[in-house]
Amino acid sequence: MSESVRAFFDDLTHGGGRMLRQVSGSVRFDLVHARGVDHWLVTIDQGRITVSQGGAVTADTVIGADETLFLRMAHGEIKPLSAWLRNDFTADGEFRFVIMLERLFAPPKGAHHPRDAATMPSAEPA
Amino acid sequence: MKRMVRILDGNIFALSEDNGDMTFDPPSPSGFFVFDTRFLSTWRLTLDGEQLHPLAIHEPSYYELRLFLVPGNPTHYVDAKVSIIRDRWISDSSFTERLTVLNHTCEPADYVLRIDIDSDFAPIYNVVWPRATRLRGYREVSEDRLRLGYRRERFHRATEISTTEPAAVDNQGMTYRIQVDRQGRWSTTLTVRSLVLRPDGADVREQLGHTHGQVGAQLRHDLSRWLADAPRLHCDWQPLTTTYQRGLADLAGLRFAPLAMPHETMLTAGLPWSATIVGRDAILTCYQTLPFVPRTAATTLRLLALNQGTVLDDFRDEEPGKILNEFRYGELAAFEERPQSPYFGGADVTPLFVVLLDEYERWTGDGQLVRDLEDTARAALHWIDEYGDIRGDGYLWYRRRNENSGAMNHCWKDSPEAICYRDGRLPGLPRATCELQGYAYDAKRRGARLAREFWGDPAYADRLERQAEELKQRFNRDYWVEDGEYFALALGPDGDHVDALASNMGQLLWSGIVDESRAPAVARHLLGPQMYSGWGVRTLGTGQARYNPLGYHLGTVWPLDNALIAAGLRRYGFVAEAGIIAEGIIDAAQHFGGRMPESFAGYDRELTRYPVPYPAANSPQASATGSTFLLLRTLLGLEPYGEHLVVHPAIPQRFGRIELLDIPGRWGRMDAIGNARITT
Repeated sequence: MSESVRAFFDDLTHGGGRMLRQVSGSVRFDLVHARGVDHWLVTIDQGRITVSQGGAVTADTVIGADETLFLRMAHGEIKPLSAWLRNDFTADGEFRFVIMLERLFAPPKGAHHPRDAATMPSAEPA
Repeated sequence: MKRMVRILDGNIFALSEDNGDMTFDPPSPSGFFVFDTRFLSTWRLTLDGEQLHPLAIHEPSYYELRLFLVPGNPTHYVDAKVSIIRDRWISDSSFTERLTVLNHTCEPADYVLRIDIDSDFAPIYNVVWPRATRLRGYREVSEDRLRLGYRRERFHRATEISTTEPAAVDNQGMTYRIQVDRQGRWSTTLTVRSLVLRPDGADVREQLGHTHGQVGAQLRHDLSRWLADAPRLHCDWQPLTTTYQRGLADLAGLRFAPLAMPHETMLTAGLPWSATIVGRDAILTCYQTLPFVPRTAATTLRLLALNQGTVLDDFRDEEPGKILNEFRYGELAAFEERPQSPYFGGADVTPLFVVLLDEYERWTGDGQLVRDLEDTARAALHWIDEYGDIRGDGYLWYRRRNENSGAMNHCWKDSPEAICYRDGRLPGLPRATCELQGYAYDAKRRGARLAREFWGDPAYADRLERQAEELKQRFNRDYWVEDGEYFALALGPDGDHVDALASNMGQLLWSGIVDESRAPAVARHLLGPQMYSGWGVRTLGTGQARYNPLGYHLGTVWPLDNALIAAGLRRYGFVAEAGIIAEGIIDAAQHFGGRMPESFAGYDRELTRYPVPYPAANSPQASATGSTFLLLRTLLGLEPYGEHLVVHPAIPQRFGRIELLDIPGRWGRMDAIGNARITT
């Protein structure tokens, strides 16, 4: 398992993510790497997140992903929903947790606040 | 354009010519569509090499269709010795067709029946905006089935066609060499399954517990229950009843179970171009139909809440708290050639979300949903000030950050040239259209009620109300065009008036942001010769440089717009004016077989005598379908007041008596009855 994966889940336990209070459930991540598969269970209780590592326990949704892809999503480099549409990872269980993935992961890099974007040069008619 | 026939089940639908054939011809929208993908683009039947022609078309419900056909040209009808019945229906995410050959002669006869089958697996966007598309993918033939498939990296869509009777299957179709007894019949059933496949061969939807829609008997039961649950309408003027009944059936057909809530249903925006989740259309349709079929509103609110924006994302024009505008599952969204995964480019959707949440509770008394969605609603209200107020001047602005594939206009008039000056110039960016300010005002006022009554936060409620009041004062000062006595369509980037005379100001009445003293002038414009066509209020007034009676948002008449305007006029006490609009729009729907069109041409009624269809309009279109319901609410003056339903009819002569029985709400069921006022 990569240190980056561990760091991501550690961070998630310590107040990471932007989960909604109305959300409860569990998501298991099956992360595939050269030496095997690691299982991480993210439990959400009214928006509060806990993480445990271990076996292939039951979860509302199971996300099966290559570890490299997972990290790129976790770091905000790849959008989870379009990656799912491309079949770059698999989801079994409840789709609402696929939507919720974005709330666990880092925001896209280099994105602009609309106020900042409004003063940037543009190709649009001015 | 050839006449098209259709069957649908929410976001799954099949469009064909009236003989049942789908012909691959890029500008033609025919095909079988699922998951924003065309799974079949060719489906052409011949008998002994001859094309078939329809004698009769029977449409028993939205999901089934029966075509009676004979070979040869129409002039040969009298000599028909053989006829064909094509029965088709949608169930369980599949398209099924039963072919029946009837031999009318007194001798056994041999026939060669051939069905050509192919697919381009086009993403629906490429059908909406026709562009180079070609038949593509792989073909696999087996004894009783043909499989068409398309792969791109791990993305995989396949169409599997199976037959109950033996056929010679080839790469491009199936051939039946059959003998039919004298006066006999022969039939076979073809099933076309859509497969959305993962690399492990499983169907994506099945892995997410999606039920794949319903099968025949369930669908029939469900439709009759849906119709029975809705209030019953009796009206002396038949067109209202016809449009209402048609509208209920169309709403039923537009329901689909979203992947994220597979056991509930909400409405797609329209067929064929918008058979998906469109935030604006879903919200406005629910708003309009709340007094009649309130359940879809709860699903819509929950689903949009799940998808609420959480991050800044330039490609998707996403910001935290923003409510999505469109979700697509096709290839272009998957590979990020288009931003609908989902796309957030709409500045109106977020305030309208709060408007619907409040209105939903007023009708249903479901305070639990308001409590469940507190975080979402607060984030939406926060979005208005933090991300919508781009210039920091208290108005709601928009400017796309995705300049390649984002929408130019983030309001309901979202076509590129819809927002313009009177002289035809297009304003720069950002833009702040007037109706957005009305929505923001309404959202803050309604948000205040929710904060006070459900979230236990009176301080927040006070703050929202204060902001709303300040916005109203500022708005009535800054948007008012003195010399014409109307509200500017928008503010341009320099805070100047984008001064076209447009229908948007009618919606301001609906939101309540218009100062009482200004309302009479607005009403005069809306019913005046520039705006009112005789059927309804035009999107853009005549005399504006870009006015065009066939301009999508530049002169056509939209029933949705008109229903909101009529509700607004009524709110400000202009009951006669509201009645005129209601009558004109319902009257127009008669000319579309009672199906409320998305929009129709803005020609003067005197000129054409009948409403001219807009060529590329969706039909049915959810938000237009909903208009009938809001107009009816306006005519009867239905308003929830605490635990009660207030009925205060103001009905034009032509309608006579209107009875709406068993209106659902927090009061249980209630009736509303109104008689036309006596003209003097």
